Amino acid sequence: MNYDSWAALRGKIKSKKGIWRIGEGVESHGYDLINDLVGHYSFMQVVVLNATGRMPSRALAHWFEAVHMCLSWPDPRIWCNRIGALGGSAGASVVAATSAGIMATDSRAYGIRPIVEGMEFIQRAQTEVSSEGGSAAEFVAREVKKHNGKPYLMGYARPVAKGDERIAALERVARQHDFPRGPHMRLAGEIEALLSEQFDESMNINGYVSAFLSDLGFSAEEVYRIFSVVVFSGITACYVDSADRPAGHFAPLQVDDIEYSGKEDRQIGGK
Amino acid sequence: MSSASANVRSRGEKFTPRIETKITRETSAAHNPFLVEQCRMHGYDHLELIDRCEFSDVIFLLLRGELPEPGERRLFRRLSIALINPGPRHPATQASITAGVGKTLTVNVLPIALSIFGGEFDGAGGVEQAMRYYRRASRKPAAEAAAAANPPPGFGTLYGDPDTYAEKLLRHLLQGDGEYRILDWVRQLHELLRPRQLGILKAGICAAALADLGFQPRQGNSLMQLMAAPGLLAHGLEFANKPLTSMLFEPDSSYEVEYPAAGEQAAAEQT
Repeated sequence: MNYDSWAALRGKIKSKKGIWRIGEGVESHGYDLINDLVGHYSFMQVVVLNATGRMPSRALAHWFEAVHMCLSWPDPRIWCNRIGALGGSAGASVVAATSAGIMATDSRAYGIRPIVEGMEFIQRAQTEVSSEGGSAAEFVAREVKKHNGKPYLMGYARPVAKGDERIAALERVARQHDFPRGPHMRLAGEIEALLSEQFDESMNINGYVSAFLSDLGFSAEEVYRIFSVVVFSGITACYVDSADRPAGHFAPLQVDDIEYSGKEDRQIGGK
Repeated sequence: MSSASANVRSRGEKFTPRIETKITRETSAAHNPFLVEQCRMHGYDHLELIDRCEFSDVIFLLLRGELPEPGERRLFRRLSIALINPGPRHPATQASITAGVGKTLTVNVLPIALSIFGGEFDGAGGVEQAMRYYRRASRKPAAEAAAAANPPPGFGTLYGDPDTYAEKLLRHLLQGDGEYRILDWVRQLHELLRPRQLGILKAGICAAALADLGFQPRQGNSLMQLMAAPGLLAHGLEFANKPLTSMLFEPDSSYEVEYPAAGEQAAAEQT
């Protein structure tokens, strides 16, 4: 039957991740969660384990934690944070507001989804440049041409500002743990130099993170999963700020603050 | 602030000081500029809409900018009811039930269910792509689309076979007095693909009808979510007062854990 694979799973759970055996313990990826992981591994190591099935080193988990810090700014003008702040102002729960802000970062414009494209971009760039006769300059020229002469390369440039202070911070953490610069990172630097010279644009945190994790063999999908809630703490901060003020006091708008540009007044039936 | 931050420059983009909308025109109360005296939607007085329109008419107005003509009204209303209840076995309904029985805040039940309904498996995730395809491909005979190697967007199988209930809904929607060009083209395509064990999916029905009604593809996924919301919500709230034991919790004997090979796990820890 065409439905055999579904029928075989009726009333059953199959897992590659773990199980809570009541009275015995909790298994996570073959570890005893309570006895082997708690107190022995960091929270971020377990986050990566849950997302990828692989336990990273404590040093790499520390670097992942630094990325979460870099993406958790408590400024409510940032789009996801604004949703958190509005939730606080509206009296929504912290869970609802933070979750809503996280969902907003599932965005093509900022947040987590561009990292998927960033990973795919730098890995494709590495493949093309590594092929016989390939060069970073030729690759950049082709990519710019694809975008009608604009430097819209994933991992470079960013909304609102030029430059990205978070890269220096992450490089500092990488040096602290002696992570080497691999081929993806070296290529990312070459591309940045070309874009800087030709368009006054530089790498953004997406480009840096994508190159760093590509050098460590992560896939785009794995990185998307690891960073699924990467912005959450900044959203919570903005929620708390407005939730602790009187209701409706975050960026309130008067009726006249909205500009209407639609249809003139009319009645049903065309009068 | 650090020297890294000093290297970041604003792009100097001009953000609007006022939100502009074509949808809602509010008039403020004389004594308080935050309160509303009158509200119009696409030019119509809200109070007149209450008196003279059906709920689905006003949804149509909000998203299309015009009240529906009689034929549009009938199709939109019938489509809304066709998609109103994904049923208790749907993953999104199960999420709703799980949220309800788990005693989450009731305001969280619908967002939880709709988030899951955004997936592509019997959900709303594929409507936009199908609308783009139908609007373009339906200018040519359905036989051309049927000749393609891959199933067209909005077509496929559910649990291994063509979706019998989607097929029934498609035929039912086409009964009556209206002429719906894209919906009828999709029916022809369905008949042509049926011998290949492919059939229309609910997302395909939604896409075809919305395209006939003049909605934009970008509105498609969300509109299907909106139409399914009542059924998803009803099932979740049905369980909000029931004990946890009224939802599935498979026994350990029905739970199978398969960890990756030990060698694979050890190698991963070297990361």
